[in-house]
Amino acid sequence: MKSLRRFLNRVVNLARRRAKDDRLREEIEAHIALQTAENLRAGLSPVEARRQAILKFGGVEAIKEEYRAERGLPFIETLLQDLRYAIRMLRKNPGFTTVAVLTLALGIGASTAVFSVVDAVLLRPLPYPNPRQIVRVWEQAPDGHRMSLTDPNYEDFRAQNHTLSGLAEYNDGPESVSGGSEPARVNVADVSRDFFSSLGVEPFRGRTFADDEQVFHGAPAMIVSYGYWQQFLGGAADLSRVRLSMDGTVYPVIGVTPRGFNFPPGAAAWVSREFVYGMSSSRSAHGASCLGRLRDGATIEQAHADLDSIARRIRNEYGEKADLASAAIAPFADAMVGDVRTALLTLFGAVCLLLLVACANVAGLLLARTSARRKELAVRAALGAGRGRLIQQFLAESFVLSFAGGALGILLAIWTLKLLPTILPANLPRQEGISINTSVLLFALAAIAAVTFSLGIFAAWRAAAGDLHETLSAGSRTYTDSGASQRLRSFLVIGEIATTLVILVGAGLLGRSFLRLISTSPGFRQENLVTMEFSLPIPQGQVFAMDRSFTARQSQLTDDLLSRLRAIPGAEAVGLAGALPVAAGDDLANGDFLLLNGQKPPANFDQWERLMQTASHVGKASYCVAGEGYFRTLGIPLIRGRLFGDQDDLNSPNVALISQTLARQHWPNQDPIGQEIEFGNMDGNLKPLTIVGVVGDVRARGLDFPPSPIIYVNYRQRGMNVNSSPTIIMRGAAPAGNIVPAARAVFRELAPDVPVKFSTFEDEMGGWLADRRFLLLLVGLFAAAALVLAVVGVYGVVAFSVARRTQEVGVRMALGAQRSEVLRLIVGEGARLAAFGVAIGIAASFVITRLISSLLFGISATDPLTFLGLAVLLSLAALVASYIPARRAMRVDPMVALRYE
Amino acid sequence: MVLKTLDVLGSLHGYGIARRIEQISGDLLAVNQGTLYPVLLKLEQEGAIASDWGASENNRRARFYRLTKEGRKQLQAETQDWEQTAAIIGRFFEVKAEDLS
Repeated sequence: MKSLRRFLNRVVNLARRRAKDDRLREEIEAHIALQTAENLRAGLSPVEARRQAILKFGGVEAIKEEYRAERGLPFIETLLQDLRYAIRMLRKNPGFTTVAVLTLALGIGASTAVFSVVDAVLLRPLPYPNPRQIVRVWEQAPDGHRMSLTDPNYEDFRAQNHTLSGLAEYNDGPESVSGGSEPARVNVADVSRDFFSSLGVEPFRGRTFADDEQVFHGAPAMIVSYGYWQQFLGGAADLSRVRLSMDGTVYPVIGVTPRGFNFPPGAAAWVSREFVYGMSSSRSAHGASCLGRLRDGATIEQAHADLDSIARRIRNEYGEKADLASAAIAPFADAMVGDVRTALLTLFGAVCLLLLVACANVAGLLLARTSARRKELAVRAALGAGRGRLIQQFLAESFVLSFAGGALGILLAIWTLKLLPTILPANLPRQEGISINTSVLLFALAAIAAVTFSLGIFAAWRAAAGDLHETLSAGSRTYTDSGASQRLRSFLVIGEIATTLVILVGAGLLGRSFLRLISTSPGFRQENLVTMEFSLPIPQGQVFAMDRSFTARQSQLTDDLLSRLRAIPGAEAVGLAGALPVAAGDDLANGDFLLLNGQKPPANFDQWERLMQTASHVGKASYCVAGEGYFRTLGIPLIRGRLFGDQDDLNSPNVALISQTLARQHWPNQDPIGQEIEFGNMDGNLKPLTIVGVVGDVRARGLDFPPSPIIYVNYRQRGMNVNSSPTIIMRGAAPAGNIVPAARAVFRELAPDVPVKFSTFEDEMGGWLADRRFLLLLVGLFAAAALVLAVVGVYGVVAFSVARRTQEVGVRMALGAQRSEVLRLIVGEGARLAAFGVAIGIAASFVITRLISSLLFGISATDPLTFLGLAVLLSLAALVASYIPARRAMRVDPMVALRYE
Repeated sequence: MVLKTLDVLGSLHGYGIARRIEQISGDLLAVNQGTLYPVLLKLEQEGAIASDWGASENNRRARFYRLTKEGRKQLQAETQDWEQTAAIIGRFFEVKAEDLS
C-alpha cells in the first residue's frame, strides 16, 4: 500500500518534474539562509557564515540527484531524456531524418499492406465453426489428377465412411432468377444434403432444406443470400409468400443465409441438388465439387485412408465403369486459396526483401552519422557514460526513427488498402476480409520493433567498437572515420544490391511472362467484341436432355435475336456460342467422345458404355455449341470442309466441326471430314455427328494453356442445355457504348424475361489477366523502390568516401594524377560494390526464382536474358550513382584540398 | 526521528527539523543536513507527512512539514516496534551469567 502510493506519486511526478526541481532549489536556499543567519548570530563573518552553512548542508548536486532519484523513476526519466535528445538530434539533421523516415515508411508501409492481404486470404481462419474440420474431397484418377465427384461414388463415400460427420456435393453457375423486384442473372448453387451442416452454417432466417425437398421431383425450395434478400426481396421479414422462379420452376423461399456467408463464392441462391438433377447413376460423369466435415477427433490422414479404401472398393466392384483409383482430400482453407498462395507468398517475399533493403539503407546512413559522431561519443564515454547508457541512447534514436517511419508506414498502408479494391484481381478469394486489424497492426509493430533493435544495436555496436583513446587523440580531422566502418557500409550496400537484383529478376521474369501471355494469339481477333451472356429458361426435367420441340423453340428465339442484333447499325458480325473462350478460363464442358470408325452408333447408353471400354474408340474434347456466325465473328479460320449452313436443321444429319488440334490427334494423315463421332453424353442425344469441317485452334482454356481440342455442334440441331452458358458475340464498328443500348432494347422486346449480362471481350479478358497484372504491378513497384534505394545506398557510400578522401585526391592530383584517373578511382569503387552485389544477387536469384516457376509462362525461371539484362541495368544504375560524387572529386582543387588539413 | 520531531513540535520546516534532530541527539548525529530532503520527500510520497509553503523566522518562503493522520499511525506502529525491539535487546543486556544458572 505504502510502496504503491510512493510509486504512483513517482509516476505523477514524471509530469511535474520542473515544479519539484524549483521547490527543492527554494527549500535548499531557505535552509542555507536560515543556517547562515544562525551562523551570523554565532559571530561568524557573513562570507564564512554562508560557507559553513553550505558545508554543513553537504554536496548540493549529490543531494539533488538523490532527491530526483527518490522523486521519480530514474530509468524512465533517462529514457525520456534520451528520446528528447534523439528527437533534437534528428531535427538538427533534417536531410538524414527525412530520408531515413521515408525509407522506413516505404518498407514498413508496403510490408504492412501486403501482410494485411496475406492475413485476410491465407492466415485468418474461415468464418465457420471449427474451420479446421472442413475438408475438400476429390476422386483421383490413376494418373494422379484430381477429378470432381460422380453422384454414385459420392453416395458411397457418404454412406460408407467412418471419419466424416458430413459430406456434400455442390456446384454453381449463373442462372436467371425472377420473381423478386426484378429478374436477375445471379450465381445459383445446387447443393446436396449435408452442405449447410458440414459448413456449420445456420440460416439467418427460416430453415434449410427438409427431406421432401431433397428428392428428384420433390417439393421445390430455395434459400437466398442475405445480399439477394436485401436487394431483391426488400429484406422481407415474412418469407412464407415469397416465390422465385428459375428454369421454369417456381421455388418458395424457405431461408436466408447469414450476412457474410459467401460459398460457393458469389452464390446468391441455393437449391437442392437432388431436387434439380436427381442423382445420376454414371460413375464416369464427374460433375460436382465436394466438401465434408471431419468427425471430432478424426484427422485428415485417417479420413484420407478411409476414403481411399472406399474408392478401391468401388474400383474393384465396378471395374472400368468407374475411372477413379483413389480419393484426395485437403483442408478446405488450403483448397480455397489454391494457386493464389504462391502468388501472395511471392508478393510477401518481395516486400520483405524491400523492407530489408530499406533497413540496410537506413543502417548505412546511421553508420555514416555514427562515424561523424565518434568524437562526441568518445567524449561522453570519457565523462563516464556507461556502455549500456550509450546503447540505450542509440536505441532511443533508432526507436524515434523507426517509430516515425512506422507510423507513417501504417498511414501509407491504410491509404493503400483504400486503393486496393481497384487493383486486386476479382478472383482473389476472401478479399472482402482485407483490413487493418489487430493482427496487421501487431505485424507492423513487430516490424517496427525489429527495425528499432537491429538498427539501434547495430549503431551502438559500431559506436562502441574502436579505441576511445585513439579516437580522442585522432587529430582535428572532420571525419575520424575508420576503414572498418567504411568496409561495413560497403558490405551493407553489396547486400542491398544483391537483394535488389533478386526482386528485379523476379519482377523481370513475371513481366516477361506477362508480355508473352498477352502477345499469345488466342486464335481469334479480340478487338471490338461485345459479349452478351444470357440464359434461356429450360423446362424442368430437360436441363440435360432436351426434346426436339424445345430445341426448336430455343433456336427460333436465338435466331430471332441474332437477326435483329445483326440489323443494329454498327454491328459487323454477330455469332452465338455455348461459352466464351478464354474469358472465364475453363468454361467449356469437356468429356470423352466416341470415334465410330464406321461402326453402328450406340442405340442407348448401355451400348455407349460398352463401346467406351475400347480405348482406341475414345477421345477427349471440349464441347461447344455454336452457330456459323460465331466463327465469322471471332475470325476463327475454316481450314477444311465447310461451316454450319442453312441445310443443317433438326431433320438433317447432325454435323460437327472440329478444331485443328483434334484433327491432328485422331486423324493425323487422313481427312477427318465425313468421319462420324458420338458425343451424346453431353446432351443426352445419341444421334451421331458427322464431321463437316476443320477450324482453326482456339486457346479456350486460357492463354497459358495449349489450344484445346474442341468439337463444335450446331445449336439448331443440338440445343443449348445446362452444359452451355449461351453467349452472343458481336463485332462492332462502333464503340460498345453505342451498341449496347440498342442490343438491350432487342432483348427487352423479344425476350423480356431473359436476363442478359453485357460486357466487352476486353473486360472479360481483363478479368482473367487481372491476377497476373496485379502480381506484376506490385512486384514491379517493389523492384523499382528497391532499385531507387540501392542507388541511393551506392551514392551514399561513394559520396561519403569522396568526402573522406578529399585530401588524398588532392595529394594525388598535386603529384600529377589526371582527372580521368581520379574519376576511375572513385567510379571504380562503386563498380566494385556493384560487381560483388550483382554476383551474389545472381547466385541468390538462381535459387529463389525457382520458387516462382509455377507463376511463369513460356519462360524458364533462370532465363539468361532476364538475368543478364537486369544485372546490366543494376550495374549501370550503380555506376551512375557513383559517377555523381566522382565528378565532384574530379573537380577538387589540389591547393584547397591540401590546405584542408 | 523525523516523524517524532514533527509529532512533538508540530509543523516545521526542513531546517528546523535538521536543527532539532541535531539538538536532541546532542550534536552526535551531525550528518549532512541536505540528506534530510530526500527522506522528507520519501515520507511525503508515502503519505506520512504533508507540506505547505509558509514564512520562516527570517521571512523567507519555506516549506513546512506536518504529520498526517496516516503518519501518526505509522509513528505509533514504529514506536511500538521500536519499544518492543528495545525491550528485547534490553533484556539481553540485563541478563547476567548467574541468572541463567
